[in-house]
Amino acid sequence: MKTIKILLLLAVLGFAFAATIMYSGIVDVAADEPHGDLVYWLLEETRENSIANAAKDIEVPDLSDPELLLAGGSDYEFMCASCHLKPEQKESDMSVGLYPAPPNLTIAHDEHNNDAKQQARKYYWVIKHGIKASGMPAWGKTHDDKRIWGMVAFLERLPTLTPEQYQILTAID
Amino acid sequence: MKTLTKIALVVLPAVVLSLSANAHDPSMHVKKAEKADCSKMDHSKMDMKDPVAMAMMKKCAKQAKHAKKAMKMDHGDMKHDSKKSKEHKDDGHDH
Repeated sequence: MKTIKILLLLAVLGFAFAATIMYSGIVDVAADEPHGDLVYWLLEETRENSIANAAKDIEVPDLSDPELLLAGGSDYEFMCASCHLKPEQKESDMSVGLYPAPPNLTIAHDEHNNDAKQQARKYYWVIKHGIKASGMPAWGKTHDDKRIWGMVAFLERLPTLTPEQYQILTAID
Repeated sequence: MKTLTKIALVVLPAVVLSLSANAHDPSMHVKKAEKADCSKMDHSKMDMKDPVAMAMMKKCAKQAKHAKKAMKMDHGDMKHDSKKSKEHKDDGHDH
């Protein structure tokens, strides 16, 4: 009985603490003020595990069709490049201003040790559903699956493209 | 007045929805678009079995086709114009 009382008291104190922080306005939500290391780690781990879990059963179609690359290329140029950059571009207003900073997709990210299929699943899921409070929109609300797989096909090749190849692939007919 | 309000309540959301659907049509992107610069394509370094090379070839072939079509259309217009101007001249003689 005593343990229950202590647990109840701790729960009430926890709620009171959270409510004080929420309503006092002391939490800085400015995008130019980064999270502390612990908060950043918590959010990043939560995000990465959530995406990996949600995407794990997605079936990846054949992405080698050149038409998919062309469709994905022009969509990338007009929907993604302002945040995720173009070959040899180091930064943009959006890549600098957004927090968390959008990943530079022109660079191969091997550190996550993903196989190509799992990476394609994750790209597809993120493009389709977006990520809450990150600036990444849910393009699936306005774009069909074929368009999204086109973007995935393009993203797979993006780190290998020269600026000249990028220009040709992303230009509109 | 009440009917007008009802109509506005139905029509306005419909207009807003249709506009938002159009906003993602690829043709809306054309304003910012630039043509593919195919002159920088180095065929000697390209692996023609690579999807990137194949896509680039397709894009440039499409562009060349469009350019050819546009030139043909120009010639057509020129013929049409000369015929028109001849007709116009004939009209002038009649008067």
